Amino acid sequence: MNQVIEARGLVRRYPAEGSPIRAVDGVDLTVEAGETVSVMGPSGCGKSTLLHLLGGLERPDAGELYLGGQRVDGLSETQWAVLRRGSVGFVFQAFHLVDELTAVENVELPVLLLGGSRRDARRRAMELLERLGVAERAGHLPDRLSGGERQRVAVARALINQPLVVLADEPTGNLDSRATGEILRLFAELREARQALLIVTHDARVASTAHRLLTMRDGAIVAQTRLGAGTSAAAVLASLADLGGEG
Amino acid sequence: MRSLRLAGRLAARNLRRRPGQALLLLLTLTIATGVLGVAMSLYGSADQPWNRVWRATDGFHVSFNVYHPPDEPGDRALVERLRRRASQLTRAPEVVGVGGPWTHLYGRIQIAGGDEDLTAELRDPGPYQVDQPLVTAGQWLGQGDGVVLESGLAATLDAAPGDTVTLQGRPFPVRGVAMTVSRGRFPLSRPAQVWVTPQTGRRLRQLGMTPEGFELQVRLADPADAAAFADAHRSLEVSEGSSSLIAFLETWQHRRAESHSDIDILAGTLFAVGTLIAILTIATAAVLIAGRMAAQIRQVGTLKAVGVTPRQVVLVLLVEHLAIAAAATAIGLGIGRLLAPRIAATSVTLLGTPEPPPLTWTRVAIVAAVAFAVVLLGTVRPALRGIRQSTLRSLVSGARPPRRPGRLARLVANLGVPLPGVLGLRSAWRRPGRLLTNAAGLTLGVAMIVVALALRDSLELLAHTPPEPGHAASDAAVTVLYDQIRAIILGTAGLLLLLGTINAVIVATFAARDAARNHAVLRALGATPRQTVTALIVSQLGACAIAVVAGIPLGLGLWSLMDGGDLPPVRLPAALLLLAVAVPVAFAGIVGVPARLLARQPVAPLLAYE
Amino acid sequence: MRDVILSLLAKEPAHGYELRQRLMAALGPAGAALNPGQVYVTLSRLERAGLVEAKEVAQPNHPDKKVYELTASGRERVGQWLADVTWSKVAPVEFHLKLVAAAAAHLADSVALVDAQRLELLRELRQLQELAQAEPPDSDGSLLLEGASLRLQADIHWLEACERRWVERETR
Repeated sequence: MNQVIEARGLVRRYPAEGSPIRAVDGVDLTVEAGETVSVMGPSGCGKSTLLHLLGGLERPDAGELYLGGQRVDGLSETQWAVLRRGSVGFVFQAFHLVDELTAVENVELPVLLLGGSRRDARRRAMELLERLGVAERAGHLPDRLSGGERQRVAVARALINQPLVVLADEPTGNLDSRATGEILRLFAELREARQALLIVTHDARVASTAHRLLTMRDGAIVAQTRLGAGTSAAAVLASLADLGGEG
Repeated sequence: MRSLRLAGRLAARNLRRRPGQALLLLLTLTIATGVLGVAMSLYGSADQPWNRVWRATDGFHVSFNVYHPPDEPGDRALVERLRRRASQLTRAPEVVGVGGPWTHLYGRIQIAGGDEDLTAELRDPGPYQVDQPLVTAGQWLGQGDGVVLESGLAATLDAAPGDTVTLQGRPFPVRGVAMTVSRGRFPLSRPAQVWVTPQTGRRLRQLGMTPEGFELQVRLADPADAAAFADAHRSLEVSEGSSSLIAFLETWQHRRAESHSDIDILAGTLFAVGTLIAILTIATAAVLIAGRMAAQIRQVGTLKAVGVTPRQVVLVLLVEHLAIAAAATAIGLGIGRLLAPRIAATSVTLLGTPEPPPLTWTRVAIVAAVAFAVVLLGTVRPALRGIRQSTLRSLVSGARPPRRPGRLARLVANLGVPLPGVLGLRSAWRRPGRLLTNAAGLTLGVAMIVVALALRDSLELLAHTPPEPGHAASDAAVTVLYDQIRAIILGTAGLLLLLGTINAVIVATFAARDAARNHAVLRALGATPRQTVTALIVSQLGACAIAVVAGIPLGLGLWSLMDGGDLPPVRLPAALLLLAVAVPVAFAGIVGVPARLLARQPVAPLLAYE
Repeated sequence: MRDVILSLLAKEPAHGYELRQRLMAALGPAGAALNPGQVYVTLSRLERAGLVEAKEVAQPNHPDKKVYELTASGRERVGQWLADVTWSKVAPVEFHLKLVAAAAAHLADSVALVDAQRLELLRELRQLQELAQAEPPDSDGSLLLEGASLRLQADIHWLEACERRWVERETR
């Protein structure tokens, strides 16, 4: 079994008045290679914290975490940074592009951090931007891009080093309906390309694209289901075509 | 009105919760007001001791002085005429006491192996209606050849009653030491002075001393009339014929003002330095005030709901900052009153223990004006921005939209500078205004150090040159004064460096906060904390580089202005090289502290918000 | 169905087959699920009600076709239908009652019911998205699919609200 992420008993506590709050309360989860997993839950259930833990942006207070088979929960800040360069790609709700760099410069960053040459980085970045349909905006600063374009640039940045897994935190949270559709198409393509992907979301459309759906509540995973093609297309279409009682 | 009070309450609450920035502003302002306060309390601190001696000796109100070069034909007759005319003075109705006329002889006294100019004043034993010198050791003139030394002279010679002094190459016994306000204190006031009896005077003339003039002093019914009295008798000052004869009237206030040149110079230097520091403080104040204002106006959304406008917030903050300026004024003046006597005590012209002069409203107003000016000038730009902005967003971000990376930036990137350096330089490029203001402060600090170094070298040279004949001791005293000024300039350089450091830390902290989100993103992408810290330090080094590159020539320029165009000594370039290296290193170290502190912050919260 | 057929005849008269074509074009992929017979049944009912009239048209090489045309009252009816703003079923009443009944009679765990229904809706949503991706973006069919997708999302949101409410009740 080729597991990209394996987590056992992850716990993350925050201090609060009285007893500390358990944002993530003993979570076990795995993500296989090539799998898309979505995590849904009400706001405050800890899904963003879980994503941060999986990507090393926060340290667990207890539990074990393995990334690509390597134990990572005890790594230092610097070790995590080095690991993230080639293994983890992030997509955030707020896009989080560096606002002083142009789109293509933003996408290049992970390559440069890994020590790649400038030319190599530029070439690969332009290729990706081309594939994602934002190549004409490559030389623009982020504040000149629409939300959908920015998120596509962010996805390009996440993919450029061919990471083990892409972690997406509410990727469509700041997007309008059309941009959401674009991102959905993108994620569908990623799914086809067998890119391991973990999406934290409360948007049902996004969640429904996953292979597996995890439901979180109060810091714990309460349900896990495979979301294969259940109902056939025919049944859905039949209900669409139901034009009312009167014959 | 109610909304204004609400804005005030919010400002006060913010102040209680986060007093850091307000305290920093107070500190930087107090550096400036402290120096000014010392200057204010120093200037005139010799007046009270002078006044005491003046009262104790029945000091003059108006003095008529005649100086003439020895042995010029025609002069003796002129001098006699002047003596007669001077006696008219004594018959004026306001005059209640007369002293003199006392003849002055000119000659030499030996001090520490060298010769010094000397004046001997001929006095009959007395008592005198005006200017009864205050005997501090031994006794006044009497039988025999005993001379009475002026107290400054006695201190320089380290002579006491019973010792001998060498006048015109011959020994004379010291009969006593006395203080007077008719003369400034030796060695800063030249020439040296002794009092002798007329018989001793005859002997001195035989030994070669020449008559050089006389002095007549009067006391009036009301000392405040001195100026009017002198003006009324200006005709006495007309000199006839010989141009080298000087006859003038002097009031007691004028003599007092002229008697303490070293304190005056010190006070003046401190005042100039304090103003300079105040100008530099404007930049620091502007950064702090802008930060505070941005934080306040961020709440404008909630404030608008209760009817408070950004304009009112700005107004309330202005009042708050003016209050800080008032506090800084008070503290600065207090520091002045404490430190000034200590500094004044080093003066060689003092006639007693120095006392800080009473704080007139003028003096308070001067210091207050500087402090208020700093705050107002520092508030202008952020306030205008605050009032003009109607949208919250640009205030919150605090920055103009980022500029397209220019050719220079691309060039630097292509030069193979490592990634953290490139990012650092890019973000420095974003805010040229702030870069320049930081650089200005540091540049002046570096320039002052250069001046201090040059002054020290020059003083050493001076110490090795032989003194002019006749000015041995007084030159030494002047050197002491220069030493004090050099100490002040070094101290100023130190203060400027302190200010520059505070400024650097503040700026670095704000820069780190501004860059926090970008750095969090970089770290999520795999940049190590060390890389982000480096980027931040590099972004601040620009100001430092400008400071070194501009400050050293500026300092050299300032020095040549002070020194009258002399070339600086050869030793300087080595010191300058050291400076050019030490300043950036120290700066990087200092700036690294807030950078590192902020790099320790966890990444996740920064990425959670928009 | 009746009003829909009437409105499709408003442009011009047509026979049954044409009508069905028009309908399928408007429905996009959903048109494939349309019961072919329903159109003809509806047409005959409308004829009986006097809203349309049929005419025989002779065709070369083919048997006679029946062409349907709107009558005056039929046209009036179309006008009324267009102006009518009644919206069909707003609330998922049936499921709501299902939950209430299950809880009252302790027939089943309400939260489990909600979860199961939600999963089913998610599957349907996924299906819709796949269909939508196959459609050209400007077609009428894609608009219909978007409407269905949004309704499903709204229903899923409501189910999440149901879950929260029922979980609260359980923990009390």
